[in-house]
Amino acid sequence: MSTGRTAAPDAVRSDGPGDVRLDDPGGVRRRLRDRLRTALLTLAGLAVLFLSLAFAITLGPADISVPDVWSAVAAHLGWGEAELTPIRDGIVWNLRMPRTVLAAVCGAGLAVCGVVLQSLLRNPLADPFVLGVSSGASTGAVAVVVLGVGGGVLTVSAGAFIGAVLSFSLVLFLSHTLGDTADRVILSGVAAMQLFSALTSFVVLTAADAETTRGVLFWLLGSLSGAAWTDVWMCAAVLFVALAVCLLHARALDAFAFGQDAAATLGVHVARVRLILLCTTALLTAALVSSAGAIGFVGLVLPHAARAVVGAGHPRLLPVTALAGAVFLIWVDTLARTVLDPQEVPVGVVTSLIGVPAFVVVLYRTRKTT
Amino acid sequence: MTYETAEVTEATGETVPATGLAAGRVAHKAGGRLIVDGITLTPRPGTTLGLLGPNGSGKSTLLRLLSGVLAPASGVVTLDGTPLPRLGRRETARRLAVVDQHASTQVELTVREVVALGRVPHRRPWSATTAADERAVEDALDRTSLTDRAGQSWHTLSGGERQRAHIARALAQAPRELLLDEPTNHLDIQHQLDLLNLIASLPVTTVIALHDLNLAAMFCDEILVLKEGRAYAHGTPAEVITERLIAEVYGVRARVTPAADPTDPLDHPSVRFLRSPPFPGPAGS
Repeated sequence: MSTGRTAAPDAVRSDGPGDVRLDDPGGVRRRLRDRLRTALLTLAGLAVLFLSLAFAITLGPADISVPDVWSAVAAHLGWGEAELTPIRDGIVWNLRMPRTVLAAVCGAGLAVCGVVLQSLLRNPLADPFVLGVSSGASTGAVAVVVLGVGGGVLTVSAGAFIGAVLSFSLVLFLSHTLGDTADRVILSGVAAMQLFSALTSFVVLTAADAETTRGVLFWLLGSLSGAAWTDVWMCAAVLFVALAVCLLHARALDAFAFGQDAAATLGVHVARVRLILLCTTALLTAALVSSAGAIGFVGLVLPHAARAVVGAGHPRLLPVTALAGAVFLIWVDTLARTVLDPQEVPVGVVTSLIGVPAFVVVLYRTRKTT
Repeated sequence: MTYETAEVTEATGETVPATGLAAGRVAHKAGGRLIVDGITLTPRPGTTLGLLGPNGSGKSTLLRLLSGVLAPASGVVTLDGTPLPRLGRRETARRLAVVDQHASTQVELTVREVVALGRVPHRRPWSATTAADERAVEDALDRTSLTDRAGQSWHTLSGGERQRAHIARALAQAPRELLLDEPTNHLDIQHQLDLLNLIASLPVTTVIALHDLNLAAMFCDEILVLKEGRAYAHGTPAEVITERLIAEVYGVRARVTPAADPTDPLDHPSVRFLRSPPFPGPAGS
């Protein structure tokens, strides 16, 4: 009827109910195409992820092949006989494997946090670190390592976790008293970040000896070198729960595109969804930071890359970003541990070197669209 | 020259109608000041109710109260007799849609994706798009003549097209009530008329805040005039839009030409403003 005409007053008065395009009634074909594309993308992503895992493990000083990796994994999962020598098996299963898997989990987790925070706070520069969670986690960990807080009962991870929750509570409290708008949350995050960074520096500079300082610094910059299977399981468990929670709220996140009021008029419980998702991302970040330190910019860069490929719809964006983040951090970490072999660069340094130019690009592009 | 005063409309707010949208003596306070002060309104189903009043008279706040985004300090907003909080956000969004004054986004979305946001309240988490969702979106695009633009980025649209996209999004919600806050702001006259023609032709109850008295006279079945958060006048355009009211509410002088044919539903009074210093006027009733 009025399809394709500009809005002349009589044209817009047409109110035929079934006015869909005749060449694709009900958009069935487009829907099928969309689902096929999503399925293919997910499959391709998973394939790339597993290939990346296998290949990244083979790279390094000891000569390991992809079949070696496979047989080690099969042996440990009880699918086959152990074919490798104990030393080579140890290199695969106890050193490179947990490290590479932890890289994948951290990459996925940080990228998912980035997507959620960017959508929730309507800020393309939002990132887990903006909330100040990583700084809080660092302070908590440093308090345990350097000051011996907890009397040996608290592990570094637990300390980091408590620090993260404390700084997040501070951010929530500050932003709530300041008016609870999107920019206030970010400014509160910046304030918390500065406070906890200062505390960390103070503790390290006054209390630590040179050796401890070096260890703490490495961890503060973000490093996967100390990865153990316990870290991997803890982070993976938190990641899957967090991803499920985020996917459950994927459509609500879509609704935030035009702001909180618009989301509310689309049936979203804004305050409740915001609290759930902010807590989820904060806890996920805390878990990741306590295992791998403050790896920055993954949460900032990957969501933008993923959006460019699959668009802004969160049901698709969240899993794709998780996959992209996992693959990204696997390769960045591989680069970090091989590029200056035998010396190792903290992975956080490499992500920052990649992330800062990307940060500038994002800033530049948002300057043009507003 | 007859119009009801706030006291009269308040007196009718004792019973809540069982059909459609209704507000009973709603009030909202901000900074210790009453922004909306005891407003009662019951738009007849299927008609267009215009909200008029100077800047800061409480039009936008009243719309936010009606949509449930703001909780009233006192009074109640109901849909078919059920208060909004009891109905729940999601159920409310399934029948009441809102088009804001300047809703913008930095997110890279196509026009179809923006319109599809209207289906959010109709969908469960995890569920895929249904044929009904798809049909509602295509129908909304068609009604707003945006079908050809569906695949285009929202950021490439002109101001008028963006407003039409928002109206399409609201239509995709399949609402029975539509609230609009000055949707024609910043549009040229052709787009203003197109947009209001579109809105007036929709088979939904519409509450629309407008600045332009002539457009309000043209497109509204009823008009509620707000002044300092109170209902100042309520009635048909011919009853409400008078020289005296314009002087009292806006403090400006105007000539009002009544409709030439009072029996013609498409005819309406028209307003011509006069150049003059602000009219002192009485301080209201």
